[in-house]
Amino acid sequence: MIEAFHLRAAERGVTLFSDLTLSFDEGEVWIVTGPPSSGKSLLLRILAGDRKPDSGDVLADGESLYGGSPGARSRFRQLSAFVPEALPADGRTVGDLFRLSALSAGKIPREERTRREEQLLGLLGVAGTREVLLRHLSVSERTRVALAAELFRGPKVLFLDTVLANAGKDWADSLTGLFRALAREGRTIVMLERDMPERLKVMVGPETWGDPEADTDPRIREAGPFLLFRLSHGDRKAPAGDPPDEPPGETPDESPRADGTASERPPEAGEEGEP
Amino acid sequence: MSVPLPLWIDWKLAGMRMRRESALRFVALLLLSFLFLVLLLSGGTNRYLSGQWTITALLRSGVSDEEGEGLARKIVALPSALGAAYRSPQQAWEEFSAQVPGLELLRSGGGNPLPGYVEITLRHDRLSEAGMEEVLAALRPLPQVERLLSGGEAMPRLFRWKRIANGVLWGGFGFLVLLFFVGFVLQERARAAALASDFAFLRERGTPGGRIAAGRAAGAALAAFLLTLAAGGLAAASLHLLSGRFRAVRLGVGSPEDAAEPAYLLPVALFLLAPAALAAAASFIGWRASDGSPPE
Repeated sequence: MIEAFHLRAAERGVTLFSDLTLSFDEGEVWIVTGPPSSGKSLLLRILAGDRKPDSGDVLADGESLYGGSPGARSRFRQLSAFVPEALPADGRTVGDLFRLSALSAGKIPREERTRREEQLLGLLGVAGTREVLLRHLSVSERTRVALAAELFRGPKVLFLDTVLANAGKDWADSLTGLFRALAREGRTIVMLERDMPERLKVMVGPETWGDPEADTDPRIREAGPFLLFRLSHGDRKAPAGDPPDEPPGETPDESPRADGTASERPPEAGEEGEP
Repeated sequence: MSVPLPLWIDWKLAGMRMRRESALRFVALLLLSFLFLVLLLSGGTNRYLSGQWTITALLRSGVSDEEGEGLARKIVALPSALGAAYRSPQQAWEEFSAQVPGLELLRSGGGNPLPGYVEITLRHDRLSEAGMEEVLAALRPLPQVERLLSGGEAMPRLFRWKRIANGVLWGGFGFLVLLFFVGFVLQERARAAALASDFAFLRERGTPGGRIAAGRAAGAALAAFLLTLAAGGLAAASLHLLSGRFRAVRLGVGSPEDAAEPAYLLPVALFLLAPAALAAAASFIGWRASDGSPPE
């Protein structure tokens, strides 16, 4: 569980947000939206243990990231994944990215590494790109490759910056389904998006989205300049009586797993998460 | 999740570049190893000079051959003496007449005018005022010794020049070491800068910057130690071949097998470990200089 208490962050002397208190439970998928320059990416970096807030603290499973032992942040970052808004389009290949990911994950046998790599790339529709330079990939492909490289490590928490928008319309639905499947495995996913994807707005209901009375919906939370939408809290963690977010007819057996160890079939658009 | 110290991280991230750099380092270490062995075994100019210069103890007339040989045996037991050879008056005459022919007439007048003598060579590592004085002090009180010839007033000047020459040779070696160290630092710095984004990736995923730096330095030290062992072995083998083939090398430098003598063990061990320490230091300096340190 990730809890943020009374966060305040400023950049160039301007306070972007203050007294922000949030919590993300295991098995939950959250989308955080907010106006431009409201500090969304900064918030994500603070939650991920990458940037100390100007005040306040973040607890990961009860352990302080910024006020406790220096090792706490390193441990949390080893267990979490961060996909930035823009992956540098440098001279590295997709294989290099996976090699780095494997290095940060510790010792993984070569065969296992190759197998998981191929499965994840296939799952995210970028199979066969192992030797391709990142700069030769489209923004959507680069985003999916970055996500695959992070999933390779089997993180417990995923922080994703504008992944749905960058992956493009064709992949937004599939990725949403993937994230919900990951949440069912107990992983926590926090996504930043500039705006709520249209299809998800439909899912919440146009009459609810943007309605000042929407705070009655337990899935929507307002915090400072941000609007947070809980896409899923996972079957595993769902308390009794809480209505499931997943659409009917979803079969968990077909769900892909974070480390690429189950289904090799990429999720089809609309397969999951579509009411 | 415990991640082992990333010893070979640079090899995994930039294998081809590391192979190129290691080949260059091997050549540098081979040159340094060869020079080090030559300087250590020769003592700079010491071995050459100790072969060129001796102390001569002229014996009184009437000293028997047994006494002369016994004296030589005693002298050779002195720590500074490498060898002591007794020459009888007859042998002394033969050597003299071989160098200056036509002097047989001198002898026909009656007897051998030359005394017997002991020729003493000093160990090259004891070729100094102190080493020479040790031998002379042992010889002076002996009643069999009539006169000591040790170079007289020329010796202090010779020793001074010897010290200067040795200083220049070792200084040149030190300069080369410094030059290669600067080269190592530049290599490390360029590589750390090239891999900075990869290190940032690892830091963002929980591998502390200090751990990366420590792992790289330890890997560099280990690689440098292995390279030095290989380069040192090759340098010793080359010197062995050269000393077997060329007498001048044998006389001026000696044989690489001598490096196994107890007196040389410490410097040899230090030489084998020094490149590892320098490589680790170069790795750290390169890391800091390329701003590869963690941003905290």
